[in-house]
Amino acid sequence: MQTFFSIGVDALAYGMILFVISIGLSVTMGLMRVVNLAHGAFAMIGGYIASYAARDLGLAYGLAVILAVAGTIIIAIPLERFLYRRIYGAPELTQVLMTIGITFCVIGIANYVFGPTLKTIPLPPDLQGPVDLGFRTIAAHKLFAIFCGVAVALGLWYLIERTSFGVKLRASVDNTAMAAALGVRTKIVYAASFALAVGLAAFGGVIGAELLPVEPYYALRYMVTFLVVVSVGGAGSIPGALIACLLLGAIDTTGRYLVPEYGEFFFYLAVIAIVWVFPRGLMGRAK
Amino acid sequence: MSITNTSATIIQPLPAASSNWLRDLVGIAIILAAAIVGYFLFPNNLALLTRMIAIMLFVLSLDLVTGYCGVATLGHAALFGAGAYAAGIAAAHFGVTEPITMIAIGAVGGAVAGLVSGVVILRGHGLAQLVLSIAIIHLFHEAANKASNYTGGSDGLAGITPDPILGLFEFDLWGRTAYVFGIVLLIVIFVLLRILVRSPFGLLCRGIRQDPVRVSAMGASVKRTLIKMYVISGVVAGIGGAFNAVSTQVVGLDSLSFTNSAEALVMLVLGGVGTLFGALIGTIVFIGVEDFVSAANPFHWLTIVGALLIAVVLFAPKGLYGTAAALVERYRKGGK
Amino acid sequence: MKKLILAAAASLLMTASAYAEVIKVGVVGPFSGPFAIQGKNFKAGIDAYLAEHGNKVGENTIEILYRDVPQPDPAQSKALAQELVVKEGVQYLAGFYFTPDAMAVTPLLKQGNVPMVIMNAATSAIVTKSPLVVRTSFTTWQTSAPMAKTARERGVEKAITVVSDYGPGVDSETAFKTTFEKEGGTVVESIRMPLSTNDFSPIMQRVRDSGAQAVFAFLPSGPTTLGFVKAYNENGLKQAGIQFLAPGDLTQESDLPAIGDAGVGILTTFHYSIAHDSPENKAFVAAAQKAIGNPAELSFPSVGAYDGMFVITKMIEATGGKQDAEKAVEAVKGLAWESPRGPVSIDPETRHITQNIYLREVAKGDDGGYYNKEIKTFEKQPDPGLAAAK
Repeated sequence: MQTFFSIGVDALAYGMILFVISIGLSVTMGLMRVVNLAHGAFAMIGGYIASYAARDLGLAYGLAVILAVAGTIIIAIPLERFLYRRIYGAPELTQVLMTIGITFCVIGIANYVFGPTLKTIPLPPDLQGPVDLGFRTIAAHKLFAIFCGVAVALGLWYLIERTSFGVKLRASVDNTAMAAALGVRTKIVYAASFALAVGLAAFGGVIGAELLPVEPYYALRYMVTFLVVVSVGGAGSIPGALIACLLLGAIDTTGRYLVPEYGEFFFYLAVIAIVWVFPRGLMGRAK
Repeated sequence: MSITNTSATIIQPLPAASSNWLRDLVGIAIILAAAIVGYFLFPNNLALLTRMIAIMLFVLSLDLVTGYCGVATLGHAALFGAGAYAAGIAAAHFGVTEPITMIAIGAVGGAVAGLVSGVVILRGHGLAQLVLSIAIIHLFHEAANKASNYTGGSDGLAGITPDPILGLFEFDLWGRTAYVFGIVLLIVIFVLLRILVRSPFGLLCRGIRQDPVRVSAMGASVKRTLIKMYVISGVVAGIGGAFNAVSTQVVGLDSLSFTNSAEALVMLVLGGVGTLFGALIGTIVFIGVEDFVSAANPFHWLTIVGALLIAVVLFAPKGLYGTAAALVERYRKGGK
Repeated sequence: MKKLILAAAASLLMTASAYAEVIKVGVVGPFSGPFAIQGKNFKAGIDAYLAEHGNKVGENTIEILYRDVPQPDPAQSKALAQELVVKEGVQYLAGFYFTPDAMAVTPLLKQGNVPMVIMNAATSAIVTKSPLVVRTSFTTWQTSAPMAKTARERGVEKAITVVSDYGPGVDSETAFKTTFEKEGGTVVESIRMPLSTNDFSPIMQRVRDSGAQAVFAFLPSGPTTLGFVKAYNENGLKQAGIQFLAPGDLTQESDLPAIGDAGVGILTTFHYSIAHDSPENKAFVAAAQKAIGNPAELSFPSVGAYDGMFVITKMIEATGGKQDAEKAVEAVKGLAWESPRGPVSIDPETRHITQNIYLREVAKGDDGGYYNKEIKTFEKQPDPGLAAAK
């Protein structure tokens, strides 16, 4: 029983970290209909900025997180304006080509600027070290990640379902021409939601850095994982992404505990099984 | 989300049969000419050109399912790798070192892998399909890693020593034999594929890509057709993989990797989806540029390749071949 | 058109490099991609050697050609090696970070009359694939086996092994297990985890449940080692007194700053620490740090490359610059010298390097940096892996 809880906590933490990093991708893929393979690259940029701010400049952790999110958005705005705007509505394969190109460039530049070594983001004392839960210890930053995951999920749900921005966004996505005719400035809405997605990526990159350390190849190394959780959840659905992250986190963690040798099999067979039952993802909308 | 509506190609009314054959002949002539030019221009780069041929077969096979059937897959290396390992294991463990037999074994291996991936991948739609393909390639990769007694695991499968082709032509250090062998394979398969995509079956596949509902309303079984195409695609990819095993005499886990699948997709999109020539051109350009840039600067070439991909999307959105073909078409119409 | 440009460029390259008495050395390694730092270390070691000794051997000038294989890819490695031999006319092949990449090239050596100097790839069997292979790095067996002895000396009865599920990981596991059991210990469990594992908490849970006194781990150097060490600390294994043992790949110097305090006290056995105390090493580190640019990036592949260059110059001396692979390899059999890592020699039989293996502990230096402090020496260790395979 104790083992069960123990694994459960690990699974929850892992799932939440996955959620924070990949939810931005769910926004771009599901709502904006862009297969953004450069999502990991943005998360990585966020990680680098935070690492530079906290480690090299010695700024406080909170400030580093804010700088990372803001900085990544600032870097992303010209990219949106000059590159992404050209591929809205383009065939997915074209989007894949463009965003892989962007990813390659970002990796190359990161390697050149920061070098190939691992970069860490020093945590504030409160988040360091283990916390005793009674039946086991867990790293404090993992609890923090769980908290961030919940906050992001609630915030996003409120933004998309309850605010006027959310209404405009959903309208622009469902029918751009009609939304524009009704006076929605779709270009601005797209740019804003792109910035939102990128900001979430950066945030996730920083929060998850303890588990997925920042290095130049980050951008491609974890891309597959992000793509898998978003698609299993059903792109564009926040509850779907949340469930998928928790479910896959649980499967992955349990698999690695019970049968580490076959952990990879376990995970991907589960993915196949889920998609077999839900061919459009857990909460995917039928076309 | 599916790539049903990706490319602007529409089924064109069938042109007269004679003009088709003419175009095939021109196609073969172009490949042959390019092959001969390549041989004499780069007599010391035949290893690279040979690798290109193997990858071309792989990308052609990907084109069959992605370009002609509209299936988005990031797991196509499963078919290529299965062919490579089938041929490699036959040679290294069972003493089957006759190159043409090895190619045939690779084709069978690829076909089986094609059947398996087809059945799994076609279950999903759009993004889910993409994820299934990712899962498949990881499972294949992991299986090969586990079966290290046969595959050599992460150390790679070495000890593949093919006999001389037809007992006459030995594989040499310069790779001349492998190159000529590859060109012959490529031409044969290219011709067969040209016939295939023009056949009623090929047209049915294109129809499915554009509107699966209508095709099934017409009474054709969408799924069975697509699986059939997947098996054919597996044969082609398997031949490519087996040829790679024969020419390099080694098979590594990378041949079953996600990276390999993704690169093939990039090459295909680069050249132009849904045309056999696009697949060939995409491969030549991607590998050629990659080789040139990475030899010139082994440390930072990735950035340049990335910039090139972006440039292609901005300036040649239909792929290199597609855009070139469109330009030629416009020029012709303008001329009339 | 593209072909024409490529052709023109290629012919330019060929004429430019067609001087007499230039001896070309082709170096294949990961210079981009996730393992770029290892390739950078190859280059730093080679540059350091050339900076110290110049690029002249007698009348001949050495020219280095680099070729990039970012990830294990035997077919690509072979194609590049073939190109280096037939097109560029290299007389020596060197480098090779990954075992499959080296294995793929061995069949070419005899036909091309080219010796191969392996600067990293660490699977024992490579040297048996061709008599023209010489290795100046280490093998996983060589660095893992002494750890088992250390564990027994420190009174560990029961140990658990945790390794990444791929060739070197399995090698390391077998090496530790065989030696440890020979010394009278028990390995209670052997866990192999997929290379792609990010979250190690469940593994740590298992280690804990196994009741072992020590955990022996092998992971490829890079981002996963960081997560592994952190998980070891955060899941309370350190407090529980379970010892952490590993070969030195896990505490590669370039990863140490990121691991930070979490790593202090980890015991590793390895052939080289940058902190090795000898005048040879001080000179080498100074030169190599200058070559690599950022001193924090320097780690073990550089010393393999440095000694590889030494071996190659000896080969060039012996052959007088003429291409004769067999004579070149013959000349370095039994060669002994003082490397930055300590006294080393090339075993005449296996053509693998015999060297000291050091037991090290991660420690914090006076300057606030972390380093591998050598606390014990296992002298003149051959490669036990080949003997075990027989």
